Amino acid sequence: MKRQWFISGALLTGGSVLAQRVIDITGKGQGKISIGFGSYRTGSDAASKTFLSVLKADLNRSGYFSVTSSGGALNVAGACQAGSQMKADVHVYQVATRKKLLGKSYNASANSARGLAHKVADEIVYAVTGKRGMASGKIAAVGNRTGRKELYICDMDGKNMRQITKDRSIVVGPRWTPDGKNLTYTSYKRGYPNVYMTGRGKPLSSHSGLNASGAVSPDGKTMAVILSVSGNPELWIKSLRTGRLIKRLSSTQRGNEASPCWSPDGNHIAFVSDSSGRPQIYIISKNGGRASRISSSGTESVAPDWGKNGYITYCSRVGGKYRIMVANPVAKTVRQLETDWADYEDPSWAPDGRHIVCSRTSNYRSSIYLLDTLKDSPVALISGSGDWYSPACSP
Amino acid sequence: MYKVVLKVLVFSMVAGSLALVGGCKKNKPGADLYGSGDNLYGDPLMGDTPMNDDMMGVPADGDRSMFEPVFFAYDSSQVNPEEAGKCEDVAKYLKKNSGGGVIVEGHGDERGSREYNLALGERRALAVRDYLISLGVDPSVIQTKSLGEEMPENMGHDESAWRMNRRAVFAIY
Repeated sequence: MKRQWFISGALLTGGSVLAQRVIDITGKGQGKISIGFGSYRTGSDAASKTFLSVLKADLNRSGYFSVTSSGGALNVAGACQAGSQMKADVHVYQVATRKKLLGKSYNASANSARGLAHKVADEIVYAVTGKRGMASGKIAAVGNRTGRKELYICDMDGKNMRQITKDRSIVVGPRWTPDGKNLTYTSYKRGYPNVYMTGRGKPLSSHSGLNASGAVSPDGKTMAVILSVSGNPELWIKSLRTGRLIKRLSSTQRGNEASPCWSPDGNHIAFVSDSSGRPQIYIISKNGGRASRISSSGTESVAPDWGKNGYITYCSRVGGKYRIMVANPVAKTVRQLETDWADYEDPSWAPDGRHIVCSRTSNYRSSIYLLDTLKDSPVALISGSGDWYSPACSP
Repeated sequence: MYKVVLKVLVFSMVAGSLALVGGCKKNKPGADLYGSGDNLYGDPLMGDTPMNDDMMGVPADGDRSMFEPVFFAYDSSQVNPEEAGKCEDVAKYLKKNSGGGVIVEGHGDERGSREYNLALGERRALAVRDYLISLGVDPSVIQTKSLGEEMPENMGHDESAWRMNRRAVFAIY
């Protein structure tokens, strides 16, 4: 409860009614909490310096904090030192009350300073706000810096980039499996577009025609996938255990389906269909039935991602530009995030349920950006070394 | 809906194919599952000829130099009358040369999402496939492969480039 008091800032003096508070992503956002590192000591080694600078950057990026070198409503005390091993003591105090909100000792190998900083940042966010942070998350994205389109993974701050596929082919539309351990993606490595999973040589789906947009259900047992085996691109459910096709959810012989994603409870699927003449976002039960349309604004709406917070983010073409929308499928409300003149596409919820990672294209070059659904300005995460697109945040 | 029927009729007359007129009869209102009105773009493709789902031994590549690509309008998978002749040439060739086949590769321009363009590219390839089938080509020698917006022919960013990129390419094997 004290945590909840804190996120609400100095405006409120009590806190019990706020214990169940969730982030109001339709609101204007809240003030930031100043957090001081003036009394935090680090060794002169490179790992300790990396730890501190990454931790500060993560806290600033979290949207909840404003890091200061001295003073602040919160004070971070402790020390960090590294030889072959690294040890970090972190104590977070609320200055006004001298109450300790976090006190922990962390050990890690010196070459994992960045990973430790991400972990500590998320623990500070949780200790102070009661919310899940995003710093320990990963971003998967497609990059073309080798001249081919390969799959890459980096940390949520865009650093620590690793190339995952070396197919020398085309990767399209990566998605994380619900356990956050693997990715599904479409690849042409065997000539035709098939759905693959990292760590498995055999494709998950290799029917005749199109196999694309494979999205593993939250229970891990099935996959929503776009197949044209019936003679037209349609939305299907495929068993991951037997490989059999369980059900065809759409039957739009005069239209296309694309880009399925699962509701957090695994009972519904949001997807794109152009059965009305233009691509729009629909929701359908995993058992089939009638699909209901949720997008209305814009000449086209594509690329939905259903967050664990219950909100669906997608991309709409508004006034000739691609814009990021956030829809509440229960209340049937939708709002457009404020962005500049560039095109913003392929949104994916960050693990904190507050931020959205998407691609930003200006002058035909694409990079990966972080948007805040509350109020912070967009932040570039990955840019340069070719184009980057189709980002997917780990769950 | 009237417009759609008209388009298909014009198309059929130019193509001069009785099989297509037969296809036209299927093209009635109510084909839209979600009841959200007519498909503005009036694609005549009904997309109801299932694939042969046995890909064993099917080549993944072919000779693209033998036939001209078919071009499409924006966000449409309709084979336009002026492009139909290209399909007829391919149909003639396939019927004469048994043992071979064709991979119809569907492409889109860079506008729209990559995943939606994959589906649209597939639909373009399927529209060509349906037309080839209507001309008497054995469905089992026609494969489709959508490349979405991933392999543009023209790297430009204007309508003249996009027009060249919205295409179905014939790869003969």
